[in-house]
Amino acid sequence: MVVDCDKEFAMNSSRQNSIAGSSGSDDFEETLRLIARLSSPEGLEERIQAGLHAAPASGGSRVLSWPMALHADAVWLRLAAAAVIVAVVIGGSFGVYSRVQSIQPTRAVTVPLHLSTQGGFSSAGAMRTPQTLNGPIVEPSVVAHPATVAPLPVKPAEMPIVKTPPEAGKAAAASRYTAQPTGAVLK
Amino acid sequence: MEIADKAVDDQARQLEEEAALAGLVSQYSGTLYRVAYSVMRNAADAEDAVQEAFLRVLRHRDSLGEVRDQRVWLIRIVWNVVLDRKRRAKTRPETDDVAELTRVLPAEGLSAEERTSAAEHHAHVLACVEQLPIKEREVLMLSAFEELTSVEIASVLGITESSVRSRLFRARNLMAGLLDHSRSLR
Repeated sequence: MVVDCDKEFAMNSSRQNSIAGSSGSDDFEETLRLIARLSSPEGLEERIQAGLHAAPASGGSRVLSWPMALHADAVWLRLAAAAVIVAVVIGGSFGVYSRVQSIQPTRAVTVPLHLSTQGGFSSAGAMRTPQTLNGPIVEPSVVAHPATVAPLPVKPAEMPIVKTPPEAGKAAAASRYTAQPTGAVLK
Repeated sequence: MEIADKAVDDQARQLEEEAALAGLVSQYSGTLYRVAYSVMRNAADAEDAVQEAFLRVLRHRDSLGEVRDQRVWLIRIVWNVVLDRKRRAKTRPETDDVAELTRVLPAEGLSAEERTSAAEHHAHVLACVEQLPIKEREVLMLSAFEELTSVEIASVLGITESSVRSRLFRARNLMAGLLDHSRSLR
C-alpha cells in the first residue's frame, strides 16, 4: 500500500515537477517517458511505404537482377547464358594453358669445344681460355648433338698467326718473358 | 506449364511478402519512430532511421515467417540502426535539444515561458543521460517505453533479464547523483 501511495503521489506531482524542474529522483524518468510517448509525425507511414516501393525489389545479395519480362517464360535463356559463361571460362583456361606450354624453353646444354692447337697450352677444362701465345683461337660453341649441326665458320684471328718451328716458338716465349723482367704480361 | 506455374507462385509469394511488410509498417512505424527519436532526438534523423530499418526488413523479407515476435525484432533492428548513426554523428549540443523539445513536447495549458523552461529542464536531463555509461544508458532509455517488458528489453539488447535489472538499478543511482551534482552547482 505504501508503495502504491508513493506511486500515486509521484504521478500527481510529476506534471509540476516536469514544468518547474524541481528535485526528485523520478524527474529524469518522467523526461524519458515524455519522449517515449511522443506522437509520430503525420504522414510517416505513407512516406515509409513510398520509400519501400522506390527501393530495388531484389536484395543486395543478388549479383544479377533479371528484368521482370524475362522471369515468366525464359528459363531457357538463363541456361543458355550459363552455358556461354562456362564455355568462355573453359576456353580462356585452355588458351592460357597452351600459351604456358609454348613459352617453356627447350633445355639444351651448351658445351664449348676447346680445340688444342699444336704447341699450345691445354685449356684444362676451363670454359674460357685467354688468348695467349698463338694468338686468339676462336672455338665454335657446340650444341648437345654436334653430329646434326653444321660446322660454324671460323673467324680469322685478329693477330697474324706466325708459324714457327716448335723450338723457335719456345725460345721466343722465353725471350718475351726475360725482355720484361718486371710486370711480365702475357700477350 | 511448369515454368508458368512457378512464375505464378513467385508472383503470389511476392505479393504476400509485400502485404506483410505493409502491415508491419502500418502497425509498428509509430513505435519505431519513438524508439528512434529517443536516441536521435531529431525528427528527420528518426524518420530516416525508421526507413532504414524497414529497408533492412525488406532485404530479409524471406525470413519474416521465421520471426516469432515481430515487434521486438523490429525494435532491435531500429535500435541497432540508431546506435550506428549516433556513433558516427557528432555530439549534439544541448541547445539543439532545447529547440527541438520546445517544438515537439505537448504544450497544453503552458505559457511560452513555461514551455521553454520545461524544454530546458528536459534537455538538461537528457544531457545527464548522455553522461551515463553506454550499457546503463541503453537500458534506462528502453525502460521508458511502457510497451517493453524487461524480458523484451533483454531480447533487444541481447542480454539476460537479470542484467537488465542490475543495469537499470545502477543507471538510476548514477542519474540521481548526476542531477544532484548539477543542482548543487547551480
